[in-house]
Amino acid sequence: MKDKFTRFLLSFFLALALYCACAVNASADDQVDAEALHVAVDGSGAYLFSIHGVLSEGDEYITDDNVLYRIATVNSGNAIAEKIGEEPMPDVSWLDVGEAQAVFASDETTQAVSAKANADKRLIALYVTHSDESYIPSDGSQSINGQGGIYDVAREFRDALQKQGVDVILDESTHLPHDSGAYRRSRQTAERLLQKQPDAIIDIHRDGIPDESEYARTINGEEASRVRLLVGRSNQNSSVNREFAKQLKAVADKQYPGLVKDIFIGKGNYNQDLAPHAILLEFGTHTISKERVLNSTDMMAQVMSTALYGTQTGSAASEKSSSGQDAAVQSSKGVSGGMIFLVLSVIAGVIIFLLAQTGSGKAMKTKFTRNVSELTGGLFGKKPEDSEP
Amino acid sequence: MSIGMIFLLVLTLLILFGVLQRVLDRMALTDRQALILVAAIFIGGWLPDLRIGMVSLNIGGALVPFGVCVYLFFHAGTAKERVRALVASVLNAAVIYVISLFFPSDPVAMPFDPMILYGLCGGIVAWLLGRSRRSAFIAGILGILLADTATGVVNWTRGIRQVLYLGSAGALDAVVLSGVTAVMLCELFGEIIERMTTGKADSPHEDGAIQGGQRV
Repeated sequence: MKDKFTRFLLSFFLALALYCACAVNASADDQVDAEALHVAVDGSGAYLFSIHGVLSEGDEYITDDNVLYRIATVNSGNAIAEKIGEEPMPDVSWLDVGEAQAVFASDETTQAVSAKANADKRLIALYVTHSDESYIPSDGSQSINGQGGIYDVAREFRDALQKQGVDVILDESTHLPHDSGAYRRSRQTAERLLQKQPDAIIDIHRDGIPDESEYARTINGEEASRVRLLVGRSNQNSSVNREFAKQLKAVADKQYPGLVKDIFIGKGNYNQDLAPHAILLEFGTHTISKERVLNSTDMMAQVMSTALYGTQTGSAASEKSSSGQDAAVQSSKGVSGGMIFLVLSVIAGVIIFLLAQTGSGKAMKTKFTRNVSELTGGLFGKKPEDSEP
Repeated sequence: MSIGMIFLLVLTLLILFGVLQRVLDRMALTDRQALILVAAIFIGGWLPDLRIGMVSLNIGGALVPFGVCVYLFFHAGTAKERVRALVASVLNAAVIYVISLFFPSDPVAMPFDPMILYGLCGGIVAWLLGRSRRSAFIAGILGILLADTATGVVNWTRGIRQVLYLGSAGALDAVVLSGVTAVMLCELFGEIIERMTTGKADSPHEDGAIQGGQRV
């Protein structure tokens, strides 16, 4: 009875400790409404950006003119960001060459490259995690219990990508309700889509900041909406996805200046651990008219297609290929960094487990070498007959 | 390579190197059975889902783990343990459902990834109720499946015709991660606390466990 009581007491205190750990992990923003609007300012107090959600220390932000800020302190949900400096953006000078040559290129050249481009598989997958998201001026509500207005945006974006010669799978599954389980449900959709091996997987959203003017712009002569790119920093693909986001922004800045509002690199995963070219696009916000947003889908589709597949001309394609190699090198660096961290975590985890089971370094070593020996038929580690104490 | 895939790979290595030997013994599973299960979960995850009306079941992500739960349930040492496993499952489902409702919907505001959070819940609730690895595993798996089912039923009652996907992400789904995390947490915290309180962990086996190749 005493033993049971001790166990119960220990269980209780361990659960309490875990709860406290969770609470601390939830940051110092205990009183912060996670669903409210929060603002980041720079060191001088000048407004930088707003976010519908929580800001955490270490979050990063790349402004529309490519200046990198990092959140240094968070107070009641609002943040002060320190300026890190100019963020190096991918070189997209091949776009100038491509555009110039597109004008002067002979039909033969264009056709030849187009044929090559058509021969390659070009596939992009789209899905919508927050199914209810809608636009108040057009849909009458910011949230519709079912397929919200965001699905119209996703369909329009799909059609626009198809016009660019890209095959698109749009999974119209809903992931309701709009709660903390939504990303887990949409993860299942993302997993299904990834079985088709798309070149990129995109989660279509709209923002929740109330100020319409942050998104409404005239771009390329059209009343349109800007697009925010969101990258999760809590996964091993983070640096690769960040490079992908920067590539998109660099292309957009060249083709449709002002279209990409900014890049937010925040805490969270957003299912972006599943693929290196996974990104979340915020098409406008809930207070903007959907028609404006729909006008942006054509532009964003062209940006996406160019960033992933290059232009249709030979020079641009070859330049793209060298640019692609650079991106691949950066990607592999990002992946290696993530993998090293994971391998170290695994080794640490195995040591903790072995230590917990054996109780001493010596016993741990004996157990491990014995198992290695058994596994490799005595090739490595202690011989089975020598290993028993 | 995704976190889930790495997780499974690590699990396979832990089994191969015997690190999880005692955990498996206590779950009445041999190393070979455990490796076959990992393979079944992995391969089953890539097979097409079974569709029954508005419910879509993944073989690796839902059916195989559910089958293991049934196996463990019937290999539980006592009727008391079976009841504990079921109660832990229902409580775990309730905790996960409530967490889904009240935790912020945006990952930037979440303390943990939802899958890890659910796995932790499974481990803590199951451990508090029984300190049994089997119960923890059953509660981890069934907790997620029941919580997902509850969400689906609530959607249907609200007139939303949303397909209920169970374990659809296969080996990488929260169902599998939750079960495995739960049992590993049980082992880790159980051992550490046992050592802290008694200075040793003499592995008092659970009924139905395997020792030296024999079920005891």
